[in-house]
Amino acid sequence: MLLSKSTLMALLCMCSAYLLHAQQNVQGRVTEAVSGRPIPGVTVRVPNTNRGTITDADGRYALTPPEGARQLTFSFTGYKTRTADLSGNVVNVALEEDFARLDEVVVTGLATSVKRSNLANAVATLSARELAGTAPAQTFDAALSGKIPGALVSANSGAPGGGISVKIRGITSVFSNSQPLYVVDGVFMNNASVPAGLNDVTAAATAGNPNNQDNPSSRIADLNPADIESIEILKGASAAALYGSKAAAGVVLITTKRGRSGRTNISINQETGFVKVRKLLGQRVFTAETAADLAGPADSPDPDVQAARNANRQEFLDAQSAGRIYDYEKEIYGNTGLLLSTNLSVSGGSEKTTFYFAANRRSEDGIIKGTGYLNSSLRLNVDHRINDRISVGVTTNYINSSADRGLTNNDNNGVTYGVALSSTPGFTELHKDNLGNYPRNRFAASNPLETRDKMVNNETTNRFITGVRLDARLHENDKTNTRLVANGGVDFYNLKTSAVFPRSLQFMENTVGGASIQGNTNNINTNLYGYLVNTFTPNSSLTFVTTVGATLETGNFDNILVSATQLIGTQTNVDQAGAANPRQFRQKYRDNGIFAQEEVTILDAVTATAGIRFDRSTNNGDYKKYYVYPKASLSWNLAKMDFWSFSSINSFKLRAAYGQSGNVPPYGSKFTALIISNTGGLPGSFVDNQLGNTGIKPEKQTELETGLDISILDGRVNLEATYYNKKIFDLLLRRLPPGSTGFNAEWVNAGDLRNQGIELGLSLLPVNTKHVRWSSNINWWRNRSRVTRLTIPAFSLGAFGNSLGTFYIEQGQPATQIKGSIPDPNDASKNLFVTLGNSEPDFQMSFFNELQLWSNLSLRFLVHWKKGGDNINLTQLLTDLGGTSPDWDDDKNGNGVKDGPERANAGSAAIFVQDASYVRIREIGLYYNIPLQTRFLRAVRVGVSANNWFTFTDYISYDPEVSNFGSNTINTAISRGSNGISTGVEVTPFPASRRMSLHVGIDF
Amino acid sequence: MKTRIIHILALAGLLGAAACQKGEIPNLNTPQVDAITRNPTKEELNNLVTGAESGMRFTLNTYYDAISIIGREIYRFSSAEPRFTSELLGGGASTLDNNTFYITNPWAARYRVVRQTNILLEAATNSSFITDAQRKGFLGFAKTIKAYQLLLNLNMTDMNGIRVNVADFQNPGPFEDKAAALDSIARILDEGKADLGGAEVIFSLSDGFAGFKDAAGLLKFNRALAARVAVYRQQWAQALTALNESFFDLNGNFSTGIYHRFSTGSGDLLNPCFIAQNQSGEVRVAHPSYAADITPGDDRIGKATLRSSSASQSGLSSNRDVWVYTSNTAAIPIIRNEELILIYAEAKIQTGAIPDAVVALNRIRTGHNLSVYAGGISPAALINEMLRQRRYSLFYEGHRWVDLRRYNMLNTLPVDRAEDDVWDRFPIPQNENV
Repeated sequence: MLLSKSTLMALLCMCSAYLLHAQQNVQGRVTEAVSGRPIPGVTVRVPNTNRGTITDADGRYALTPPEGARQLTFSFTGYKTRTADLSGNVVNVALEEDFARLDEVVVTGLATSVKRSNLANAVATLSARELAGTAPAQTFDAALSGKIPGALVSANSGAPGGGISVKIRGITSVFSNSQPLYVVDGVFMNNASVPAGLNDVTAAATAGNPNNQDNPSSRIADLNPADIESIEILKGASAAALYGSKAAAGVVLITTKRGRSGRTNISINQETGFVKVRKLLGQRVFTAETAADLAGPADSPDPDVQAARNANRQEFLDAQSAGRIYDYEKEIYGNTGLLLSTNLSVSGGSEKTTFYFAANRRSEDGIIKGTGYLNSSLRLNVDHRINDRISVGVTTNYINSSADRGLTNNDNNGVTYGVALSSTPGFTELHKDNLGNYPRNRFAASNPLETRDKMVNNETTNRFITGVRLDARLHENDKTNTRLVANGGVDFYNLKTSAVFPRSLQFMENTVGGASIQGNTNNINTNLYGYLVNTFTPNSSLTFVTTVGATLETGNFDNILVSATQLIGTQTNVDQAGAANPRQFRQKYRDNGIFAQEEVTILDAVTATAGIRFDRSTNNGDYKKYYVYPKASLSWNLAKMDFWSFSSINSFKLRAAYGQSGNVPPYGSKFTALIISNTGGLPGSFVDNQLGNTGIKPEKQTELETGLDISILDGRVNLEATYYNKKIFDLLLRRLPPGSTGFNAEWVNAGDLRNQGIELGLSLLPVNTKHVRWSSNINWWRNRSRVTRLTIPAFSLGAFGNSLGTFYIEQGQPATQIKGSIPDPNDASKNLFVTLGNSEPDFQMSFFNELQLWSNLSLRFLVHWKKGGDNINLTQLLTDLGGTSPDWDDDKNGNGVKDGPERANAGSAAIFVQDASYVRIREIGLYYNIPLQTRFLRAVRVGVSANNWFTFTDYISYDPEVSNFGSNTINTAISRGSNGISTGVEVTPFPASRRMSLHVGIDF
Repeated sequence: MKTRIIHILALAGLLGAAACQKGEIPNLNTPQVDAITRNPTKEELNNLVTGAESGMRFTLNTYYDAISIIGREIYRFSSAEPRFTSELLGGGASTLDNNTFYITNPWAARYRVVRQTNILLEAATNSSFITDAQRKGFLGFAKTIKAYQLLLNLNMTDMNGIRVNVADFQNPGPFEDKAAALDSIARILDEGKADLGGAEVIFSLSDGFAGFKDAAGLLKFNRALAARVAVYRQQWAQALTALNESFFDLNGNFSTGIYHRFSTGSGDLLNPCFIAQNQSGEVRVAHPSYAADITPGDDRIGKATLRSSSASQSGLSSNRDVWVYTSNTAAIPIIRNEELILIYAEAKIQTGAIPDAVVALNRIRTGHNLSVYAGGISPAALINEMLRQRRYSLFYEGHRWVDLRRYNMLNTLPVDRAEDDVWDRFPIPQNENV
């Protein structure tokens, strides 16, 4: 594989010699304008042809232009594109760094792309380095945190394997899809969260809230961040309209790495690090008397209470004298996990065929013993040019991931670690005895140490994603060319969930005798699209791009879950049990769309676009009906006009974009089902409590975005300012019909919602010398939502009822408001139902800095500030009730009542609604390129990084980023999935973690 | 020209691919309501009957817990759910809320069965596969179950009333006050009785209906419920008439009756009211007054067994587990003979037939290892004795709170903590929008 330099040169000369005979050959060298260093990897193309090559490690290139070619273009990410005239056999160019990224090409629809300097939308772009180059997060979804202006990205918990809520430009939908569409190299990647059936054991969804609380991971987490070349985020309908109904909540377009012709590059990267809990709450410090109080009041006349008090007191004193007062919180959550990640990539290719191959293995232990994450993936991307006109590209990705996620979050059986800990004092003994038996926890329904050591909650995914893209130039001449682009993709995964609770567990031995819940999900998504693009350039100042095309997407989901109880010994097969309860849930959809778009560019300064899309879906009430979504945009870069006279202002762009999109109803919303419900061995059909609506139609979204982009001082100062107004009409709501109808949910189109927001971005390059380079990106954004119309009565959702704080959809109020009952100050026997908070942040801000010294040492860090936004913290309620809050015995307000019982007995939901602001140093990394180049080694990098290491917050629980209800958990026949609102509700979550790693990378 | 043809062909191909919509995707997972009511087969009707029987068991734990806590029969301690000891007992400043699980869940679960019975009524009416006598069997069963479910909800909201006519879910009928609602429930039971009179039962029921699976048996079940409704309406003579048509047997087995059955079978439920003895964290314990007030020797102390250590939460404690259901497949009674004997006693007291009443009360007393009644025989004294026997015989079966309310004696319930309250009714759930 490794050719010596001389052999390579000889080969090159031979080729050149050969080519010289055929046609005129051109060669040259590309260098960096400031430092004069060669730039490898620059794309050199002959305009309007498929002919092109890439510069080698020395910045050299050679190619044979076709007859009549007069120019060459040189482009490379991060540099201004240059066009050079073909005069003579040697063309050397120097590329200038594109600080403002004005020449960066941004995808605007499925088909076409436009230079950033002409773009009408604020499209966020993340390079590989921004995504994972500072301090890699555990999973792809976590790596987005704090990096997308306009988005609220929040982790659901610290459980290994991810699980993230991404809300772009506010609440897109309450009950339909509220998470963005992920498109990887043209393949729509499924991001469902499939619950493992833990509810059978925890009964979490049986009392206060029927929504699933199993804490499953998001499937997008399977994707390996190291494979990603760049990410573009289309934030709303005006940018993403060509993705149709799937793009209502935004689109995350992911491009993976591709090979380049020329020398074969081999790169090995190793990350070694550790994971620790971010914060522990601490334990209540007992005295003999407070220990006794757990059993009942001192003045109780009941002799049993007194006996129990004495027993507690004695247990405490015995434990104290034996020095056996434990910190169980630390024992459960205080594990330090080892993290290892190895990445190997090989890329290269010939002029006709290029490839990128990567193998990756990431393993990480969790902060709870027995939890962890393992992801192994293989990727092969191959591009091939059949001839000058036709090229094909194939991407393939196989992923095997396994996450052990423990047992956390809410439950009603006292079995999750956190709920059990909340009533377990440190003076009781939970450790196993010499015989290996765990004592019964007399303070809770389970012994959390035993649960942790014996149970399994594993998700294993085998996933295969492949896409094919065909690009054919149907015809071309001086003024016009037409391309046919066809793209097909398949995303298949099998997800195996396994939750095993042996019968020897405290909460199993006297109840159902052990439980083995085995789930098997097969999901296949396909998408197919094809379009024709005609580019017509009547003269050099005018370009028309016309696109027509059609799309088709299908999905087929099949989940079989068997819940077996009365287990035989330690067997886990579902047939090794006294009772088994199988369940199956399937869903299918087929969506298709037709679209047309016209783009006009005048003088490379004014770009106007108009498009229209027709969409239909089998999930709609009328599956044949096409819904029409138009879009239009206009941008005008004044600095490119002749009259522009401020030479220090390089770009001054006014832009506006408008677009419509839809959001299809969830599968099944048009059916009123009869669920299975048996008794006495007879099969029964029992009416579902969800009322279908045969007339259900998609939510319609309109988005207007306007903005101003300014770039001055040669791009060293760039300002991007955006205002948007995103309206959602015919909001899909799950109305709560009066309970007396027998239904507790009905699908209706019943309201309008508005999100308005501002996004400001400032990128600076304060210092740029040969030895010191400092760049800085500052983003500030805010969103405000309002329910502008509601045709059904206001309703609460997403938490545990009025007395514990609830989200409340009400006309004229923010969609994310939190209301709750508090005692009426005038009449203690009554409650008032009042607004207590809002989960929407006041604003968010991110601050990314990169300092480069002597071109070899680089320091990068990302600070993320979320100001405001309330959580509903019910962890504290549980520890208050269980008498284990660390401040239970305090009396901060000095009224003589201890804080624990005071909070628990206040009868006020206001206590649970807490500000979840934070400032977090999300990522910090220091990297050094060892200046060591030999014949074999091209580069050696070392670095150290920390992820989520420092957080400054007044929020008193584990972490301000939390969600008991997950973010995209699917609805099944028997369990309600997530909604778009209820992030930030916390009930004894898997605590958040922080990571620190050492990096070594070698390129051959 | 050639390129233009290619363009047109390619475009036509694309649009053609997009336009081929292969038809609607049906519900892949379950039958649908609108299809089943059109003209169901016998098998489909049977499935609806089983669904109704099965659905009656949903959320029973919340119902029994909520009203037994307010009736000071039990405490429910939960490390995860504070409102059992705060709002239901009126602890501190807390009050009952109209949007909290203890009312919303059982309320909705009972009305869901009412919906099911309405679907069954519609389906049976529309089915062309059954005879009229068979149809009457379905109708009579559906009405009996519907009346029972409405009664349970009225037990919770009492003076706040319930909706009775909810057949049209788009426009549910008005709230009827307590008296009117009880009248309506009695009327629905009477209609059920009329249907069952000439009915042929072709559907199967679980063994919870053992002995009552045919038309005659279901009629007796219907009348037993009618007797309960009659005493709630203080229609003592009607109560006695209904008892005579029911399975009431003064000397019969106390446990004869109709039950909800549970099993580990597929698609079935486990008894939601079962919690093993001596648990911690999630416990259901008897109110201390149950053991404190019981007559020595009464075998009904077995319904509240001693714990190895007492359980406590929020200043409340008890050393006895509720042990009415002794396994997770134990049956929960809908109505049984012991209650009928007590209804008989009550109706006799109220109609002045004191000797008959005392015979009945003694039947209960001696059946539980107690001596015969030796107290006063004034109606007031006998009512107290009757209520006492109901308290112990029907412990954690959802009666004490209802009974004391009927006799205006909620103020006799023990109040454990200074600020606790004894509620007399649940609020109408918020989503009823009244």
